[in-house]
Amino acid sequence: MALLKNLQEQVMAVTAHIQALTKKVQARAYPTEKGLSLLEVKDQLLLMYLMDLSHLILNKASGGSLQRHAAVLRLVEMRTVLEKLRPLDQKLKYQIDKLIKTAVTGSLSENDPLRFKPHPSSMMSKLSSEDEEDEAEKGQSGASGKKSANGAVKKYVPPRLVPVHYDETEAEREKKRLERAKKRALSSSVIRELKEQYSDAPEEIRDARHPHVTRQSQEDQHRINYEESMMVRLSVSKREKGRRKRASVMSSQLHSLTHFSDISALTGGTPHLDEDQNPVKKRKKVPKKGRKKKGFRRRR
Amino acid sequence: MNNTMTIWTRKFMTNRLLQWKQMATDVLHPGKATVPKTEVPGKLVKMYKTTPHVTFVFGFRTHFGGGKTTGFGVIYDSLDYAKKNEPKHRLSRYGLYQKKNTSRK
Repeated sequence: MALLKNLQEQVMAVTAHIQALTKKVQARAYPTEKGLSLLEVKDQLLLMYLMDLSHLILNKASGGSLQRHAAVLRLVEMRTVLEKLRPLDQKLKYQIDKLIKTAVTGSLSENDPLRFKPHPSSMMSKLSSEDEEDEAEKGQSGASGKKSANGAVKKYVPPRLVPVHYDETEAEREKKRLERAKKRALSSSVIRELKEQYSDAPEEIRDARHPHVTRQSQEDQHRINYEESMMVRLSVSKREKGRRKRASVMSSQLHSLTHFSDISALTGGTPHLDEDQNPVKKRKKVPKKGRKKKGFRRRR
Repeated sequence: MNNTMTIWTRKFMTNRLLQWKQMATDVLHPGKATVPKTEVPGKLVKMYKTTPHVTFVFGFRTHFGGGKTTGFGVIYDSLDYAKKNEPKHRLSRYGLYQKKNTSRK
């Protein structure tokens, strides 16, 4: 019984509220001609939805069935339209919020990007003197004009960029090259065998797929995998053929028996340029334009 | 040399989109020259128990040193699908398509 009384009271309050609103609308207190059409459409749709819903509730309360009622179809249609309007609403959310804020406060907010518009009028020189002073004046008045538009002068925040060390001097470049040569020397066969000889660790015999996994063999493997999974045969360019031939020649020679890698980086002697290593590297870096020059240098 | 030609199939996959079964075929022929493409479908037919007019092979490359050749094989569900999905140059290798030699001008 208390529930029914509660319900009655609430219904009376709601009716009074709605009657007041209707009077205001009829008195044209809410003009919507210059407003957003999307919001107007939403308003109308919601009202129609409510009307249909109340009609159905009335029907159900007086014992009628809702099966195949025309109002149900209308409701479904309106519901779909409302759902489709939701993403549009999301997109307009920022604009609507800004408008509301401006309407409430009467001016643009502190961090509104529109405040940072340039003012060409404040950049014009107001004095008639020589050109240098003119330009200086322009620069100053421009900056001051912008500042006055911003309001208070803000603290300078440096841009968040990651600085990369740039080795300008030849010495630094030399140092880097030396470090790389040292690394290469440490993993060369000479040093490795010395290590094995003097270390107490047990000798490891690994199942060698290929001890020197060269770049070329990796690329070949990649190519083979691609061909088998895509069921196509890729054509091999001349450059690729040359690279392959060089790689196979290098690995099949007895060159590796008598020529040891350069460990002068560790001993401090003069580096002797191994001819086999350089061509592979230089080929990758040389662009087509400067090819002639570098080729000449290499021959020397 | 004895007639040893072994076929292994790798990366077998049933492709429902093209209505075929695709695989990479490895042909082992130690001591002999590369096996011609016309002999390989016969062996595939025996292995997969299909008919010869829906098995197609292509793309054979012999590895350095001889003895092993790798190629691709394809087995269709039916001849209709084969005629629909297979490129014309492969169909003409098996006699299912004749290219029209129209004059250029």
